Amino acid sequence: MFFHIVLERNMQLHPRHFGRNLRENLVSKLMKDVEGTCSGRHGFVVAITGIENVGKGLIRDGTGFVTFPVKYQCVVFRPFKGEILEAAVTMVNKMGFFAEAGPVQIFVSNHLIPDDMEFQSGDMPNYTTSDGSVKIQKDSEVRLKIIGTRVDATEIFCIGTIKDDFLGVINDPTTA
Amino acid sequence: MSIEPFNRLVKLAARAFYDDVTTKGDNQPKMGRGDNRGIAVVVLDALTRRQWVREEDLAKELKLHSKQLRRILRLFEEEKLVTRDHRKETAKGAKIYSAAVAATVDNQVGGKEGEEKIKLHTHSYCCLDYAQIYDVVRYRLHRMKKKIKDELEDKNTVQEYVCPGCGKRYNALDALRLVSLEDEYFHCERCNGELVAESDKLAAQDVGDGDDNARRRRREKLKDMLQKMEVQLKPLMEQLNRVKDMPIPEFGSLQAWEARASAARRAVNGDSGSNDPSKISQGYGGTPMPFLGETKVEVAFSGLDGKEDVKSESASTSLKVLPPWMIKQGMNLTKEQRGEVKQESKTDVISAQPDLSDDKKSTVENDDKKNIQDEYLKAYYAALYKKQQELEEAAKRQQELSDIPPATNLSDSNRQVGMKVKRDDNEGDDDIDWEEAPMAGNTTESYKVNDLNVEAEESGDEEDDVDWEEG
Repeated sequence: MFFHIVLERNMQLHPRHFGRNLRENLVSKLMKDVEGTCSGRHGFVVAITGIENVGKGLIRDGTGFVTFPVKYQCVVFRPFKGEILEAAVTMVNKMGFFAEAGPVQIFVSNHLIPDDMEFQSGDMPNYTTSDGSVKIQKDSEVRLKIIGTRVDATEIFCIGTIKDDFLGVINDPTTA
Repeated sequence: MSIEPFNRLVKLAARAFYDDVTTKGDNQPKMGRGDNRGIAVVVLDALTRRQWVREEDLAKELKLHSKQLRRILRLFEEEKLVTRDHRKETAKGAKIYSAAVAATVDNQVGGKEGEEKIKLHTHSYCCLDYAQIYDVVRYRLHRMKKKIKDELEDKNTVQEYVCPGCGKRYNALDALRLVSLEDEYFHCERCNGELVAESDKLAAQDVGDGDDNARRRRREKLKDMLQKMEVQLKPLMEQLNRVKDMPIPEFGSLQAWEARASAARRAVNGDSGSNDPSKISQGYGGTPMPFLGETKVEVAFSGLDGKEDVKSESASTSLKVLPPWMIKQGMNLTKEQRGEVKQESKTDVISAQPDLSDDKKSTVENDDKKNIQDEYLKAYYAALYKKQQELEEAAKRQQELSDIPPATNLSDSNRQVGMKVKRDDNEGDDDIDWEEAPMAGNTTESYKVNDLNVEAEESGDEEDDVDWEEG
């Protein structure tokens, strides 16, 4: 699920960035530092949408670095248990398949794949129904439901299922 | 309320879930009799026939060793089927319980033993907790069904993997770390062995290779199990449904139960007539307990009923009894005699007000004092009536004569009773009130009688209330 929230961060700015472009430098550094990171509490920071304010800088003794407390608005993405996501399959193996929904990695184990789909090994490993009408392989797009999340301080990993109504392949690259 | 459906529920649950429970400890090889499976069922059955019971007594009656029994009861306590209470008590305290038992469980013979020591002993008591049993059994069934169904549909289960080499366990959330680049299997982080998906606990078999055939077999097995469960536990579920809307028998805590039981016994000993035989006859199998609350309610009912009855009675009697008296006087009265009658009835009212009410209430009450007053009243009325008749005759005579003689006659009669009237006026404020009312109201002589009646009724009601509150 996506959220638009305000976060705060203390930015350390090297003295070489001081000047009339200080503010722009600060913001670009913030984007470089923050976007794409993951915190267990808020999820993945997808994009910074704006700066709320920049506090007074504090010069560090010895180094000359200046610390600015920066408040910024950003879009975060955090997966929840029970959430339905659309994801792209990245890897298929005997134990199941991995998929990605943006920054989030999701594993669907083989017993959470419908029983009528069987694993086919080979050059392009895939799960296929007995009549061959539905095939899950690398780069397939699937709709899945998250049934478990592991949220660490710096990463989020999910396991999902496609063994439910209206879940499964939504776009097959081979037929498209 | 009946306890029988609940007992049946307990028995069914006992046979369904505790049939193969054995009390044999792990370190008791010396028990030669072999297994004692089913003993838990026996104990539960025995408990359905009792309420609070001392565990020693129960052990004695079941011919079990008390330690053995205690072990079973501890199990049931953990399973939330039984509430237990432990307390230190002297022989006296034990007697209280024995007395309570004697009051309720009439065929409990082994109640009193020779525990006449002054020392404190810890006694344990146990009792079935029907409310909790109902919930526990339902929850147990729900969990059983949910577990099988979840496994059947693989719903919301996180697959677990185990390394056959070092025994390290992983689950699907670790998948990202476990995947290897060389092949399509998961590898143990520690020994790089190939992980196998852990087979389900319920349908234990070699799912290790993830063979589809095995998966299908497992599903069949689960389905079969679910069906079997439905069939075999059907009586239990039906009993649960039957019991669903019934009031659950509640024994309360040991202390409360003892208090109730002894109170009930006292009630039985005290008045053996009224409503207690029902409780006794129901015994320990039928109605569980002589509830104090219930008795209280009954008492209140009887009180209420009595009160209402008395009230209606007095009301009806006041209506029924009074009219003849009223009519008599009313018929005797004529317009010419109004003054005399007024005076007379005035005195009548003042002196007879309490008596009148008593007269009415005499149907309800039988105080000696009241009787005496009644007698007096009757005599008084008789005298009054006689006098009135005399007056009536005089009035008739007067009517036959011209208008003037009545006046003289009237003055005569006034003279007779006049002194009284004056005294009355001086005496009572009530009297004045009473006189004012008729002036405002009716003009005929019958009003006096009516007023008399009203006042009498009022006073009667008041006294009724007071009496019943005292009672």
